[in-house]
Amino acid sequence: MKKLWRGPAARRLFISLSVMAVLEVMTGPPGSTATPLAGIDGSFAEKASFFGLFAGQRWLLFLSFALVVFGIWSFWLSMGTEMAAAVSPARQLITVATRRKPVRWSFMLVLLAVAIILPIVETDPYWQSVMVEEIAVYVLLALGLNVVVGFAGLLDLGFVAFYAIGAYTTAWVTGALPTPALFGLHLNPFFAIPVAIFLVMLAGVLLGTPTLRLRGDYLAIVTLGFGEIITIFANNLYGITGGSYGSGGPTGKAHIPHFFIDIGPIKYHWTLAPVPYYYLTLVFVILFIVIFSLLEHSRVGRSWTAIREDEVAAESVGINPLKYKVMAFAIGAASAGFAGVITAAQSTFIFPQTFTLQLSINILVLVIFGGMGSIAGVVVGAIVIQTISMYLLHSPPSGFQSSDLYIYIGALLVVMMIFRPAGLLPSRRRRREIGMSEAGEGHMDEVLTGDTP
Amino acid sequence: MSDDKIFDVQNVSLRFGGVVSLNDVSLFQDRGEILAVIGPNGAGKTSLFNSLTGVYQPQEGSINFLGRDGKSVSLIGKKPHRVSALGVARTFQASRMFSALTTFENVKIGAESHKGFGAVGAMVKGPRTRRDEKESDAQTVTLLDFVGLRQKANTLSASLSYGDRRRLEIARGLATKPQVLLLDEPAAGTNPSEKLGLANLIRKVRDEMGVSILLIEHDMKLVMSLAERLYVLNFGSVIAEGTPEQIRANPAVIEAYLGSSAEEMNGSA
Repeated sequence: MKKLWRGPAARRLFISLSVMAVLEVMTGPPGSTATPLAGIDGSFAEKASFFGLFAGQRWLLFLSFALVVFGIWSFWLSMGTEMAAAVSPARQLITVATRRKPVRWSFMLVLLAVAIILPIVETDPYWQSVMVEEIAVYVLLALGLNVVVGFAGLLDLGFVAFYAIGAYTTAWVTGALPTPALFGLHLNPFFAIPVAIFLVMLAGVLLGTPTLRLRGDYLAIVTLGFGEIITIFANNLYGITGGSYGSGGPTGKAHIPHFFIDIGPIKYHWTLAPVPYYYLTLVFVILFIVIFSLLEHSRVGRSWTAIREDEVAAESVGINPLKYKVMAFAIGAASAGFAGVITAAQSTFIFPQTFTLQLSINILVLVIFGGMGSIAGVVVGAIVIQTISMYLLHSPPSGFQSSDLYIYIGALLVVMMIFRPAGLLPSRRRRREIGMSEAGEGHMDEVLTGDTP
Repeated sequence: MSDDKIFDVQNVSLRFGGVVSLNDVSLFQDRGEILAVIGPNGAGKTSLFNSLTGVYQPQEGSINFLGRDGKSVSLIGKKPHRVSALGVARTFQASRMFSALTTFENVKIGAESHKGFGAVGAMVKGPRTRRDEKESDAQTVTLLDFVGLRQKANTLSASLSYGDRRRLEIARGLATKPQVLLLDEPAAGTNPSEKLGLANLIRKVRDEMGVSILLIEHDMKLVMSLAERLYVLNFGSVIAEGTPEQIRANPAVIEAYLGSSAEEMNGSA
């Protein structure tokens, strides 16, 4: 009996219950100074709907949701072992380095199908615009930061800089900034995509080359500074960026135009309507997922893992750590740059206030929550966290203030760290690393050993 | 003779602040030789390895290495990954594997590290990338067979025994197609039967792959049976050089280094 209670199934049930409990409290009514616990009571007793889907006593919902999550989870795990066993042992020997989880891929396909039909099902304009501005864009950002933090193991606290560079490049290329546009032309934002990606990658190389000799905390501080520098540039270079008025400020010339296609018979103009932008972004999200996962399972990905695990040993087999770290910076920056293009074109104005340290940290939270180094993980992590945040901000329970948001996100993160320290859908390699460092194995950034007795 | 020195180390000194780690060390290794460096703890053996592989930069002296093309190149000022590309592979005293990766992946990283740039290739998966992958896979399987780890190809390297870790490190080093393999205490932490297996493996590496071996080892039995020539280091200086017989008979070595373990050394003859 004791064994059953301590077993993995009980643990999964407990995790499902606690995550759902946190969600309940988050979406429930708040307490007050007089009766601080009223919020917790109310969260489980109040008659309310959950995402507008069900109505009833909330504790019932909470219980049923938790059980559903537990059920899916258990089913998924059992299916995973079965499918892994189906691969013949002979095949495993040769393809081990490139072996992929069939379950994870089918899961991604289901997610894709849901993503495609979602705007048709969900017609609320708020949620439609959230899907682009707050979810799709953040998925792109999380995917990019995952390359830097998850694959290469470099802590980047200034990732927003690349997002900002992407956005401002779009404004520049389309002629929306006070400064003259590229070649003096006011181009379609489509042309901004290659320019922005090129510039952010260049920025990644320029930032990376001198700073990636640093390790750990030092690198984090330098990148944090870089993020701030870019924001301050955007804010203070009045004549170039429009300063705190943003693009198209008093001295700016125009809005950032929307995307349009005008090739022979194919004509299409994107407008303020979010759904076309949603599909456009979705195409690029898929593209980045494919590219990054090819990279992860290639020589480059293995080299990143090697450097992350043991830089000295990696060097001894001929891997140039600096080269691969700079590569991670530049490649990760690319998707952030693209996210910048989408944001700029879709909202037609950009402001330096958007690109704050807070945003950098938020992106990092998505990556940590989802599972560092796991592409499926960060995608799901970004979707989950952003959906919860946007739900709370859109239909706040009475008394909820927007600044409370981070209390809840923080609590969710703490629960995650206790029960799933490697993230929601951890990568195989990362999970092993965490498991091993807990067991006292491996070299966590240990200084080179000399003669030891 | 002088044209065939795989390593030619002249008057190398390495200091960390006031601490002299290597003091005016000169030594050489012939191509195809199994050479051992012995000495008590703290004598500077690992510092010597780190200087040879570019991890440490000695303040004085020269280190010349006979490259694949038969030309001598200086290793001073070269980064570890450049040294590796020139044909120097090594293992570590406390074995350093990529512990979250499998045995197969560990060796494959060595096999592919000196192939082209990669990022663009990985994105488009062109024919060249696919060919490179196939080559690396084939080379990895061959090497795993060679060191006898094929059965454990899918095992996480962290769960291997000490003896297997040493084999893995040797395979990973060999995957970079080296001219010389530096082994830092390969027998540490292994049991007698694993030791015997390692000694045979090391000899096989030299005989079948033509890779020169430079060895640091505390296990006298292993060193004396394996090495063709030895250097003895003490307090960062070379105090003796010669064949195992000469070293065993050298009074300076017995007095300065072996001390109480002199019997052990003679006993193992």
